[in-house]
This record gives sequence, C-alpha cells and structure tokens, in this order.
Amino acid sequence: MSADVRAAAPTRRPPRTSPDRRTGRRPRFDVLPYALVAPLAIFIIGLALFPAAVTLVDAFFKVQPLNPPDGFIGLGNFVRMFQDDSIVSSMVNTAYYVVIGVVLSTVLGVLFAVTLQQRFRGRSVLIAVLILPWALPGVVEGIVWSGIWDSNTGLLNSVLTSLHVISHYQVFLGQNRLVTVLVIELVQVWQITPLSTLLVLAALQNIPGDLYEAAELDGAGAWKTFTRITVPLARPGIAIAMVQAVIATLNVFDQPYVLNGAASTGASVMEQTYFVSFQNLDFGEGYALSLLITVVTILVSLAIVRIVYRAVEL
Amino acid sequence: MRAAAWLRPLGIAFILVWTLLPLYWVLNTSLQTDAQVSAKPAHYLPPTPTLANYVTLLSGSGDISTSVRQSTINIVIECAGATVVTVVLATLAAYAFARMRFRGRNVLFYSVLATMALPAYATLIPLYRIMSALGLVNTYTGIVLVYVSGFLPLAAWILYNYMSSLPIALEEAGQVDGASRMRVLWHIVLPLARPGIVSTAIITFLSAWAQFLFPLVLSSDLSTQPLTVVIAALQGRHTVPYSLMSAAGVVAVAVPAVIAIVLNRYIVSGLLTGSVK
Repeated sequence: MSADVRAAAPTRRPPRTSPDRRTGRRPRFDVLPYALVAPLAIFIIGLALFPAAVTLVDAFFKVQPLNPPDGFIGLGNFVRMFQDDSIVSSMVNTAYYVVIGVVLSTVLGVLFAVTLQQRFRGRSVLIAVLILPWALPGVVEGIVWSGIWDSNTGLLNSVLTSLHVISHYQVFLGQNRLVTVLVIELVQVWQITPLSTLLVLAALQNIPGDLYEAAELDGAGAWKTFTRITVPLARPGIAIAMVQAVIATLNVFDQPYVLNGAASTGASVMEQTYFVSFQNLDFGEGYALSLLITVVTILVSLAIVRIVYRAVEL
Repeated sequence: MRAAAWLRPLGIAFILVWTLLPLYWVLNTSLQTDAQVSAKPAHYLPPTPTLANYVTLLSGSGDISTSVRQSTINIVIECAGATVVTVVLATLAAYAFARMRFRGRNVLFYSVLATMALPAYATLIPLYRIMSALGLVNTYTGIVLVYVSGFLPLAAWILYNYMSSLPIALEEAGQVDGASRMRVLWHIVLPLARPGIVSTAIITFLSAWAQFLFPLVLSSDLSTQPLTVVIAALQGRHTVPYSLMSAAGVVAVAVPAVIAIVLNRYIVSGLLTGSVK
C-alpha cells in the first residue's frame, strides 16, 4: 500500500458506516455490529434464555396437557417428585453415576495426561486415537459396549469363562444395582475421559521443566515429583476436567437408555425426566426435575472449583 | 523425571487397549454371521470374514435396512444444516464481539457465556413446546434450529477467542485503504481465522452427529429421525440380529471416527480454546 493511496483513503471511505475515531467527530449510530450479532441474539434469547426462564417458572405450575386446567401449585411438583419411588431411586442411581464417573474419568485423565506429558515418537498419533471416544455418539457407544457386556455373546463373559474366573456366563446389566451402574458408567467414562485428558495435559504443558530438573537434583523420586509438582500445578486443569465430568454424569441419558432401558436398576434422573414429560405428559414435574438437575449441576460445579481450583503462581 | 521410564510404555499400551478394544470388538462382530456371533467362547477374529451385514444394510429391502439408510440421510442433512448455520452466525457475531464496541455488547456477551454453563437438557421441554407451537416438530428446520441454539454459544466463544488473538494491524491497514468492514472481514479476517473456523465446524458437526435426546423428542418418524435415534430403537426391539446391529453401529461410528482421526489437530486446539479460558 503506497502513501498516496493512504492519503486518498478518507475521501473514499463511506462516511456513514464507519465511525472515525481519528477525526474526533461524534460518530452516527452504527448499525453494523447490531446486524452482525442480531441472529445470535435471537437464538440465545428465543431458544436458550426464554426456555430456561420457562423451566424456572413452570416448575411451580401444574402443566399437564391431557389434564387441564393448569395453574400455580407452589412446590407441588417437587413434593410429588420425592413421593415417586422410581424418581427417588433414579436420584440414588445418578449419585452413583456421578461419583463413579467423576472419580474414574479424573484418575484416568491424569494418568493418560502424564503418559503424554513428554514428547515421544508417535505421541500425536496416540492423541488422535485417544480423542476417538469423545467424538462418537453416546447411543452408539452403548451399542458398541453392549457387545462387551452381553450375557449371551459378550466379550467379557467369553474371556472370564476361558480364564476360569467364572464357570458360566453372567448377566451384568439389570440384576444388581451397583454392578449395573458401574458397567453403564464405564461406557460414559470411556466417552468423557479424552476431554479430561486434554484439559489436564494443557495444564501440564505449562509446568516449567526447571521444576522437574530441580526436583531431580534434590533426589526426589518419581512418586514424590508426581505428588509434589505435577498434581498441585495441574489443579486448574483437573478442576475443569472434573466440572465437565460432573455436568456429563449428572445429565447422563444415552448410555443407560440404550443399555438398560427404563429398568430401575440403572435409570438416571434424566431418563425419568424424559419418561415423566414425554410418556406421562406431566410437563410440570418434568420442569421441576430439570430445574433440580440444573441447580445441583451448578452447585456441585462451583464446589469443585472452590475446592480443587487454585490459581497457580509460577 | 515426569514419569518413571517404565511407566510410559505401560500407559501407552493401556490407552490403546482401552480406546480401541471396544471398537475392534464391534467391527469383529459386524464381520461375522449371526450364528458365529453366538459361539461360546466368542470368535476373537472373524472365522470367515463377511461383508454380508453391510450389504444387507446398503441394499436390503427389509424394514431395518431402509430405516438405517433413510436415517443416515437424515443425520447428514441435519448435521450439515446445523454446522453451516452455526458457523456463519457465530463468525459474524464473533467478529463484532472481537473488533467492535457497541451498546449492549457486554450484556449479550455474558448472556452467551451464561448459556454455556446451563446443562443442555434444562431447556428440553420448553424447546419441544416452542417447536410444537411453531409446527416445527418432526421437521428438519425444527431440529436444525434447536441444534444451532445449543451449539452457537460455544462456537461464538471459540471464534471470539481465535479472532481476538489475530494481529489487528492487517485489518487496520485494510480499513485505511478504504475497505469497508465487511470487506475486511471477508478478505482479511476470514482467511486468517480459517483454522479456528475449521475447528468450530468440526466440533459442531461432531456434536450434532452425537445428538440423541433432542431428536428423540423432536422427531416422531423416519422422515426426520437421525441414525442415532433409529439405532437405539432397533436395539430396543431385541429382535435385530446382533451382527447386523453391530454393522449399523460401525456405520454410525465410521463418519465421526474418520473425522476425529484425520482432523484431530483442529479438534484439540478448538476444545482447548473452548473450555480453558
């Protein structure tokens, strides 16, 4: 760009649409940014904030299309929710899903991230493989893993029988509650661990190599280095990984729906929300359940951030 | 030492087995006949590898084959539609957020961030009722609108971070040369932001491909049901042969798996800009 073009520029510039800070003139109302953000704003307001407000308000109303009239019933939906055995049982299941899922995905995420911390040949290929389960639909992962858990044709039964660990094929899903929840949650852990790994790995990359060299000079062993340097300095990454795991596990739906259907041994709160809303057509109670999950999700996430997250000063 | 030297090969082996074994197993099952699948102990390799299950899905005239084919067309249309709309709208908004000052900017910006913190299913029932009121239940439009509303915040956030990190000097030079801001966006910002746009498009496409509960509620028959919904319904019948079910599973896994393997760099960078800041 030559000097004369630059000099000629102000006269060619359309005066209306670009407010000019350099001339000091007070710019006219600038339409362009509003035009650019308007579609986003319409979506966010119309299809995110407004529906969220509806959930918040209608949780305190009776909303049953097949059983009018609707009206304000205060905490009625919440009271009925806690009187419904299948919903209470789904809350217990979901608590198990959360504890098992958050612990396992965090532990595995840290182990995988430490494995990937230093550069080595084939590291980027390994990361590409590791990402896979994150990219796949939860429903299909349920189908994939049913090939492992199946009571007639499953890989696990076949291997355990061949190794003489069990004498005949076992039913893993739908018998014992803890076994069912564990087996289903492992499938979700498979899906959410890649993101946990990446988040922890990103935190590990920020740890200066000097620290490890100093630790080695001081004669610290691998375990001491891991507990005194790696874990404390990876805390921000671990906290975010745990929060995404909490959100995923509290809202678990696809895996139990495909692997165990509506059976009470593994049904999650999100499944009950779906059944209550779209099979019983009791939207009010569905709203109350949605609100409950949302509030619990936010509170648990905040608690984790408070407990685990510490700003790391280097 | 960050990890004891003998630990790393162990970790690598565990990552590979943990990630690939389930995928190997479904592929193995899909290449067997239904009789072979029921063998005890199981065949760890297909004894007589056959593509018969895939041929059935591809060209069979049965109920299962036609519903898998139609729902594959549906999922491609819905994912492509949601990805294009999301990326275009998010790019325009991200440019405004990153480079312009205007009244209401911060309020809107923090609203976008706030919606990211909401669990997606918090709005499931209201969205169904809105689409129902608009007559958009069981239409591609309805499903794409709901997907876009769900994916826009993260997409705008990733692109905002990406565009903010671009050097502003080139854009200023373009403006001094008399280019309008839309020309600057088109000719200067978009080419520079291409990696961020690709990341956003891939993450949006994969998220759309993975949807289940929203289309389960929003689509009532094969005219719009995506592959995920149809596969879950087939599984629920308990009558579909296991080997055929596995082949359908492989079809549903193949597209996102190939994308994830080939374009994993974009995914990693996009996920990290999306969730760390």
